[in-house]
Amino acid sequence: MFFMKIITVEHLKYKYPLSDKLALDDISFEIEQGEFIGIIGQNGAGKSTLCQALVGLVPNFYKGSYGGTVLVNGINVSKTEVSEVASHVGLVFQNPFNQITGSKLTVYEEVAFGLENLGLPVEEMKRRIDNVLNLLGLYEFRDKNPFDLSGGQMQRLAIAGIIAMQPEVIVLDEPTSQLDPQGSEEVFRVVQRLSEQGMTIVMAEHKMEKIAAYSDRVMLLHDGKLIDFDIPKKVFSREDIEEYGVITPVYTRICKNLDIKDENGFYPITIDEAHERLEKIL
Amino acid sequence: MRTLSLYQEGDSIIHKIDPITKIIFVLITILIPIIMGTLNSAFAFLIISLTLVIIAGVIKKVLPIVGFTSIILVTVIIIQGLYYFNNRTPFFAIGTVVFYKEGLLYALEIILRIYSIINSVSLLMFTTKPSDLVEALVKKGLSPRIGYVFSSVLQIIPQMMSTVDTIIDAQRSRGMEVEGSFSRRIRAFIPLIGPAVISSLIDTKERAMALEVRAFNSRYKKTFLNEGTTFKYADVMQVSLISILIISIVLRFVH
Repeated sequence: MFFMKIITVEHLKYKYPLSDKLALDDISFEIEQGEFIGIIGQNGAGKSTLCQALVGLVPNFYKGSYGGTVLVNGINVSKTEVSEVASHVGLVFQNPFNQITGSKLTVYEEVAFGLENLGLPVEEMKRRIDNVLNLLGLYEFRDKNPFDLSGGQMQRLAIAGIIAMQPEVIVLDEPTSQLDPQGSEEVFRVVQRLSEQGMTIVMAEHKMEKIAAYSDRVMLLHDGKLIDFDIPKKVFSREDIEEYGVITPVYTRICKNLDIKDENGFYPITIDEAHERLEKIL
Repeated sequence: MRTLSLYQEGDSIIHKIDPITKIIFVLITILIPIIMGTLNSAFAFLIISLTLVIIAGVIKKVLPIVGFTSIILVTVIIIQGLYYFNNRTPFFAIGTVVFYKEGLLYALEIILRIYSIINSVSLLMFTTKPSDLVEALVKKGLSPRIGYVFSSVLQIIPQMMSTVDTIIDAQRSRGMEVEGSFSRRIRAFIPLIGPAVISSLIDTKERAMALEVRAFNSRYKKTFLNEGTTFKYADVMQVSLISILIISIVLRFVH
């Protein structure tokens, strides 16, 4: 099977203005079309900075010193305007409130914001908005004021606003960190659905059980360096993983303490795998 | 949802008129009485705008504004009645204080003008969705960035106010007193305003980035989801309103 490389990052280095430390230190990787990539690492590891580098906010929004290249779908994002990159790669932020434009009175119009800026014809806009609202389960709220939505609904609306622009890649920077469990679950379900539809997804997240369940590969960052980029089982089975401030999925921790490994020598990372392994033993 | 909008839902004919026509109407009610400078024109425009306010069904909202302005306008009557420079004919006297006819007429003209401006501006504000108004202006060539500032401020300010409420509650729960004497309130101000400003700055930065990734600074020509309140007679009305303005200017110079 032929996989197309959709993101290629080469020797990416970045330093924020007024800072002496590299926020991203010589990062190189490739992501294939349709992959689900999880980014993990403790606070300050560079997760958000990397997410923003993928859409060109780093360096174009912050300035600062930048080295290396980020290619998304053949576009060099650091040399392209963010608004131009926006139709190729979308970014969803942590705080749902701050992603609502505030200039629109209904959910329906809110989704249209990006499409208006891209100058799409009205018919196309309506087609895309209907489509996206249905996909994200927001159609029933289309006439509501965006600020009247719950956190989880608002975050899904933020995702809708991005998806409607039909990017090839969507980057989510801790999209559930400010949501309650129910809201988080809604958002994860939506992200999973997008992944099943073949969209390339890059998600930074602290909820390791979710990363373990959804990711094709996991990127482990520490102090701005790329420590590991591999299948989740392999990353979570690293003996030194806790030194990087990552708390592995609870199933992994249980199996690690019980010293239960699969045939490849990795610890189970999801409840199903752990269940299967334990059943064989008991 | 708290918003700062004055818009009143309604389905009167006035609600259906497009924002630009209403703006032109507001300009005309301001300009024509000034250009003509006669009592009759001021009175005519007051009647017209008042009638439109009644048709729009927003008279209840306008009355409090009229009432409030009246308090200020009483001073106009007193000052012009007593001291207008053309004052010659005494009209009536309270004790030794004499009110003059010329001054009172002039005050009347000012009052009629102000009331008609209040009515026509209210007509615009109460019957037009702010978002429609801004969108109409952006379509006419206002910068989308300035348009965004106008339309977002109405929703974002209430959001900021609720942030401030949260901060006040948080500081109170830590034992800070925010009520009481004037000096106590002043002292309470700094621990409140600090977090409020900083959190707004952080929010603004995030919002700016969120707008960026939605192609806010796009170089494409912007399109609009709402094709606008298409009002059949917009062109006819705008042309006739502007003609009325031109006629009034001509009349003024002929006389």
